[in-house]
Amino acid sequence: MTTNSQILAPPESSDNSSSMWVDEAIWGQRLYDEQTPWFVFLEFLNVFFHELQKNRAFHEIHGFNTLKYRAAHRLYLRNILFNNPHLVEIRMSCPNDDTRWDAWLKQMKSSAGIAQAQFSYLKNHFHSFEDFCEIVALVRSTSFEVNSNKRWTSKFVFPYGRDCLYEDLDNNATTNDRRFFGRTGELLYLMFCRTKHSQELLAALNDRFSKLDATWNNILKCFQPKDDEQGGGDRANAFLPYPNHPCFDELAEDWLAILRLKIPGFDVFPHLVNLTGLHLMKYQLVVSRQILNSSLPLNLVCEVVAPRKTLVREISCDLYQENNLLPAQAVEAYISNIEHSEEWQRALTENGAFEKCQRIMRDKVRWGDDYEGPNDPEQLLITFRQAALKRHRSNQGANIHRNYGREIGLVSRRGTIKLRYAPTDALLKTLLFANVEKRIELNQFLSKLYNRYGLVFGDREAEQVLAKDEFDKKAFQANSRRLEQRLGSVGLLRRLSDGCAYVINPYHADLK
Amino acid sequence: MKGHASWLAFIRQYGPVPRNDNMYDETIQRSARRLGLLPIVFEHPTQTEIINCFNQSTTDPVSVILTGTAGDGKTHLCRQVWKALKGDDMAWASDNPYLTIQFHYPKDKRKWPDSEEHDLYRPIKIHFIRDLSGWAPQQGADWDSDKEELLQKFSRSLFDGESDEIFLIAANDGQLVESWRRLKETEDVKKARQVFEDLLVEDRQHQAGVRLKFFNLSRTSSADLFDRALDAFLNHPGWDEVKSEVPAENELFGPKCPIRHNYELLQTRLVRSRLRSLLELCDHNGLHVPIRQILLLLTNSVLGHPDVKDHLMLPADVPKIISAGTVSKASLYNNIFGGNLSEIRRQSITIFDYLERFQIGFETSNRVDNILIFGQNDENLGCHFNEFVANDPFYGADNRYYAAKREYIEGTEENDAKSAEFLQMLVSQRRGLFFKIPKESENELNLWELTVFKFAGEYLDSVVDVLKSGGTVKRPVLSQLVKGLNRVFTGMLINSDRELYLATSGNYSQAKVSRILVERISVEPSKGEKVVLRFDESNGQVLLSIFFAPDMFVDFNLTLIRYEFLSRIALEGALPASFSKECYEDVLALKSQLIATFMNRQSKEIAPIATTICLNLLSLTERGMPEQRSVEVVP
Repeated sequence: MTTNSQILAPPESSDNSSSMWVDEAIWGQRLYDEQTPWFVFLEFLNVFFHELQKNRAFHEIHGFNTLKYRAAHRLYLRNILFNNPHLVEIRMSCPNDDTRWDAWLKQMKSSAGIAQAQFSYLKNHFHSFEDFCEIVALVRSTSFEVNSNKRWTSKFVFPYGRDCLYEDLDNNATTNDRRFFGRTGELLYLMFCRTKHSQELLAALNDRFSKLDATWNNILKCFQPKDDEQGGGDRANAFLPYPNHPCFDELAEDWLAILRLKIPGFDVFPHLVNLTGLHLMKYQLVVSRQILNSSLPLNLVCEVVAPRKTLVREISCDLYQENNLLPAQAVEAYISNIEHSEEWQRALTENGAFEKCQRIMRDKVRWGDDYEGPNDPEQLLITFRQAALKRHRSNQGANIHRNYGREIGLVSRRGTIKLRYAPTDALLKTLLFANVEKRIELNQFLSKLYNRYGLVFGDREAEQVLAKDEFDKKAFQANSRRLEQRLGSVGLLRRLSDGCAYVINPYHADLK
Repeated sequence: MKGHASWLAFIRQYGPVPRNDNMYDETIQRSARRLGLLPIVFEHPTQTEIINCFNQSTTDPVSVILTGTAGDGKTHLCRQVWKALKGDDMAWASDNPYLTIQFHYPKDKRKWPDSEEHDLYRPIKIHFIRDLSGWAPQQGADWDSDKEELLQKFSRSLFDGESDEIFLIAANDGQLVESWRRLKETEDVKKARQVFEDLLVEDRQHQAGVRLKFFNLSRTSSADLFDRALDAFLNHPGWDEVKSEVPAENELFGPKCPIRHNYELLQTRLVRSRLRSLLELCDHNGLHVPIRQILLLLTNSVLGHPDVKDHLMLPADVPKIISAGTVSKASLYNNIFGGNLSEIRRQSITIFDYLERFQIGFETSNRVDNILIFGQNDENLGCHFNEFVANDPFYGADNRYYAAKREYIEGTEENDAKSAEFLQMLVSQRRGLFFKIPKESENELNLWELTVFKFAGEYLDSVVDVLKSGGTVKRPVLSQLVKGLNRVFTGMLINSDRELYLATSGNYSQAKVSRILVERISVEPSKGEKVVLRFDESNGQVLLSIFFAPDMFVDFNLTLIRYEFLSRIALEGALPASFSKECYEDVLALKSQLIATFMNRQSKEIAPIATTICLNLLSLTERGMPEQRSVEVVP
């Protein structure tokens, strides 16, 4: 590991949710594949605004991995928006405004998670029950997971402003059970604390948030009583093992690039979310390769979807499979490193080898208390390896590559049954906005995408990456031609004549 | 070789043959000289303007760059300038891509003196680089120091008003910027490269303070080039020799000869105007067709046949084709789309790629197919069948067609190969119809439904032609566009066309459904607001202009494809998947721009301090009219 000679020690007392310390040691507490990039972003905003209010945003003032914050619950708001099935019915069935309010307020008295719920303050904000219903419908139309079968406490209003932020809660709406806010947003926050660009980023975020249209945040404030102070307890124990990492800097650079563009208002959010997903995925793969001591750069050969099967698609499928195995391989390598460590090997030759090895396990990976197998170090290791891989697969970051890849539109099955890298237009746009200042030639753009993310589209990059017998110039030229057409079709490419096309960022600050 | 044979062999070189010698001006000149023929020539639309940059029309010449895609006529135009400056023919005929010449311009930079007095003139050295790519080193190789020095000198001269050397450089646009990227990075080189990029990308001819005129020949109207090329092609004296022979029935230019028939068809007004329409529509979709491709199209149209060598007929092929009964395969209508070529070959040729996008032959309507398949003895359709199919002895219904049709209609067995053959014939017949249906029957027979652009005819007749002749586009056409825009802007199937509805969803400017009304813009002129269609003379674009105030407006380049998209949304509500996404994005981007402009206008108003938040919500009445509802929130 070249750039990260220092790896941070795990916190003294981790929370009880982790029964061992392997994935956490490699990538942090934690990369959680059921937390979509949007939810990562929302969790991040909760942390960010809390720390901003405390005047310490992007500073770990008590040292590494000491983040402690609180998040709001906003149960009035959430009950109105997501736990309110009778709203339409009451609007239809009650004859006039007063009876509607009465019926509804009565209904809402038993709102979940709020002692003596009293919603009558709403009447001060809306002229009529109908108006109220209209606004509720509008807010719901821009919310997340409204129509999914997620529990109502895991549905989120669009982050129009700080009064719209709250944390995920369990079924009883009492505490954050880490079901969908699995700390990945906290990791993201820590990454930003540890990039050399943290101050610039802070300024850019402040600037962007101060200029956002406050209308909707103000409307959503009206949904909440003035004294709704209810919030969760301290959230702590987020852990990021590296004091710095090139991945953190690259992520921050991309966010900065987007924040500086003249993209109107909230339109920047999807791009930030896409980049978050992309960089977290890349972070996982890059760190895996470091653990595996692989010096090869990461390669993501992307197919620009073709009508027929192409060589590019085949290579992309293969590489996808290969990359998909990396995190599990890293977990195995991490365990072999313990096995091959001097400490372990010495313990094997000494008296009481089993007890000593068990102690090493407890120290290094916090595992072994429940071990009931034979008193044999080898067996201990085998059992541990199985347990670690099982845990990795079941609820940790095993599927980050696939899930995040799909969520951000990098990984897809379009036109085939196998997954491969085939970016959507939306992701291509995000990449373009983050990497093109005003305009650059298409070839330079492709080379930049390769250098920064390992994304391979054209023949020049493919030639560097692939073995001679795998590389087919024509196939990759056709691939970049398709990319050119796609970018052209969304108005971001200006074709001049043969062999010359410019990729254009219409939101660059210099352009009219 | 006999006269007519050598002429056909010569024009064949313009066609899609593996090594088409007539791709390059140099080689055309040479092979024409060898055969004692004149090449196909016509005056390029920009020729006069370019020559005037160097001759006595100018007193203070500046450098000129001719750029464009391959086959746009760059070298040809260089040669015209060389001739105008009385350059030596022999020097030009040499292979040297770099030549110089001296020319005298007046010392007084304001006007040409009346006298020939030597002292009144200053010598200017003009450097011709007639082919930058042939002259610059190969990719990866180093510059010769004298060449590098020359381009450095050129870069400097662009910013030096006193320079006594100017340049004429012809280069493909890609190579131009690429070459400058490979030069040593001096200030002047950097500045020059930036200038080229700006001029290219922003489509301009010059930049203030830079001694350069920049002609991008790829911006020339393909339709204009087509008119000139077609005249030069048809009226070439080479044909006279062919026509003057008195051939036997089955020989070249005999009564049954497909080459002759194609040549004559190409002269008919109808074929000519339809073909021109297609090229004009290419222009309006931002697809430029270079001269070389137009000549290739014309040659292939006349000589194409799938069964002969290189798929282009020679005189000796004609009797064989006639006796084999495959004259119909030489159909001009099919050749126009490269139907005589293999699919791979066709796809690799620009013009056929462009024409393929119209999907002529594959798009159809029930009416057209009924005529072709069941029209023969039908009391209503029979007349059309006779007119367009039966009475065309060359490419209409021949025995093969009748037999295949019978098989297709009555065939009891499933015979895929046979029905495939008939379907292929239908493709040719539909293509034929596209060139046979006369103007006056266009609407009755829905001519443009034979293409993917159902509204292309309306676009040309009711928009482009009207605007070009200075007229105003009729209200129903404009209404249709406004309705289409409103449907995309709101994401609802609204029918309103008197005002443009700018709406958002609350969070994203590009959301699919937008119910929150921001503003309505009047289509009829009212308080400075209006929506109009205009024609931009400088680039031939049709613009949809939305005015917020007399001096505050947004232009939207209304290409054919966008016109088709908006019209279909307005009339059908549904979107054809093939091109809808691209246009949809374009229209949403327009909305963002409009909202930004509106905000800009609004920022000039001093808003009273609001005590309430007011939202205007849109919903639809049963008749699809937008209903507006105001909702207030009291903070």
